[in-house]
Amino acid sequence: MPDVKIFSFALRNVLRNRHRSLVTVLAMAFAGIIMIVFAALMDGFLDATERHAVIMNTGDVQIHAPGYMNDPDLYTYVDNTYELLSLLEKNGFYASPRLYGFALAAAGKSSAGVKLRGISINRENTVTEISRHVMLGAWLESGDTRGVVIGKKLARTLGVKVGDEIVIVGQASDGSMANDLYRVKGILKTVGDEIDQAGFFMLDTAFRELMVFPKGVHEIAIMRSNRDTDLELAKQRIEEIAGDYEIKDWQDLQPVIARILDLADAQKVIMILITYVAVATVILNAVLMSVFERIHEFGVMKALGVGPWFLVRLIFTELFIMIFAASIVALACGWFIAYRLELNGIDLSSIATGASFGGVAIDPVWPAKVTPGALFLPVLFLILIGFLAAVYPAVKAAVIQPVRAIYYR
Amino acid sequence: MTGAIVTMENVTKLYEQGKIEVRAVDNLTLTIQKGDFAALCGPSGSGKTTVLNLMGGLDLPTEGTIHIEQQNLSELSRSQISNMRRDRIGFVFQSYNLIPVMTAYENAEFVLKLQGVPEKQCHERVMNILAEVGLQGLEHRRPDELSGGQQQRVAIARAIVTRPAIVLADEPTANVDSVTADALLDLMQELNRVERTTFLFSTHDQRVMDRARRLIRLRDGRLEQDEVRA
Repeated sequence: MPDVKIFSFALRNVLRNRHRSLVTVLAMAFAGIIMIVFAALMDGFLDATERHAVIMNTGDVQIHAPGYMNDPDLYTYVDNTYELLSLLEKNGFYASPRLYGFALAAAGKSSAGVKLRGISINRENTVTEISRHVMLGAWLESGDTRGVVIGKKLARTLGVKVGDEIVIVGQASDGSMANDLYRVKGILKTVGDEIDQAGFFMLDTAFRELMVFPKGVHEIAIMRSNRDTDLELAKQRIEEIAGDYEIKDWQDLQPVIARILDLADAQKVIMILITYVAVATVILNAVLMSVFERIHEFGVMKALGVGPWFLVRLIFTELFIMIFAASIVALACGWFIAYRLELNGIDLSSIATGASFGGVAIDPVWPAKVTPGALFLPVLFLILIGFLAAVYPAVKAAVIQPVRAIYYR
Repeated sequence: MTGAIVTMENVTKLYEQGKIEVRAVDNLTLTIQKGDFAALCGPSGSGKTTVLNLMGGLDLPTEGTIHIEQQNLSELSRSQISNMRRDRIGFVFQSYNLIPVMTAYENAEFVLKLQGVPEKQCHERVMNILAEVGLQGLEHRRPDELSGGQQQRVAIARAIVTRPAIVLADEPTANVDSVTADALLDLMQELNRVERTTFLFSTHDQRVMDRARRLIRLRDGRLEQDEVRA
């Protein structure tokens, strides 16, 4: 290896044509910033989607009686509820029992089929955040057996507002007619299609009374106490506790969302690659210009005894300096913008209120999430693409015959 | 071949210019001896620069053999030829061809660094050679801060700092005024006399031809005259 201070030599070459180097660095940095912000917004969107999918209704894992998922029948229920709840809590899980039934809701001249959802409000609050998702009115209260909270679209279908009465008609478990009058206590924001159109939340005690359903539950929704613990491990533990029942995690229950989230990383990489192909042409052009205008100089260096690898190293070092500068700028600016968006998000409420994605509500404020991946993946690709773009010019400089290079004009 | 630095035997070099084949050097046999202060002259297109390029290993002959210090160039790899240029041949170009981002000192030091000469020894040799070519105090100037004559002095310093077997100089006085040209020739003559550095010039300049102790005249790529002067 020649003992030439190649870094200093390369740095001087970079500074030799300051304007071109600056434009190249800024182009790379700009692309890096865009990609960091894009990756952070993607991560934020996916994180919010996953959170909404889980914390609004599903929970991490659900327990059902065998066959209930395929045929949600009133008589197919989990029997030993209290024993299971106790075991789950001892193992560090939050668990909420739920009761489901189907009925016809009527208000004035309007009617709609609804899915009755009997919940234990204290337990439900430990598993989901649905109680904080009320758009109008308030969430259920202990002891208020006449109060119900309904989905947004259901309220529109029935033409009811907070304080209005709804008549429920259905078939109780003993074959009698389930019939009662409830008052709308709250109307939910957009949660997801199923809850928006047919969600009818009531206290579990009110459900048991209406449907003559004294024991058992149809679903136990479970949340890990620490969301960083592995979902698969949590599911295995729950299977050990409640092996007689059907155990499904949120990915089994919402496969579309799970699949979209699985593919999201690949989508992110593809987007970054597409953007960087454009950046690569800028880099290639800049490096090619820099090489071609110095072909004569390279010829002289070769005449002096410089080998091809020295020139390759020189060109790559020059590029490294530019990429390094671009990466610093991209990381600093990208992090700053992404961090601001993590704090404040992009408010899309004027255009996207009530939007849903794969049946899951989307928060109208789109937050970014600054993750190591969002910061460093774009920079890594920038380095990779930059070096790939420099291969041709470097090889060109390395293999050119000295005599051709010296007389190159 | 005792004393021979470069030997060309029956060397022919053909170039293709479009569809036309140009015979730049035609069956040339020539030997450059150690200590020569020789000038290659002849009209434009006579093959002077091509001969210089062939002797410097910058180009390879179409036919014939070239030996540099008894090593056959056609038997060496590109990398070996590159090392030979670095270690045994000095080049001086018509338009100086200094590396523009390096100072006079760094330009002179460059080949020594490529050779891996230790820092201290490098510094000593570069400072001596710059003093020898009259550039004391200008070591830290970049080429664009030097006159044409000063740049050519740096180029000469760069060519001789490694103590090469031969210095090949392509029209070294073409781009400088007559006073500077004389000063450069004085310098190279002095180096030839004191250090026994071998010089081969390609030139149109009568002053160079007048000072050369050996005049090699080419015409159409062939040797027309090889005159050794007293």
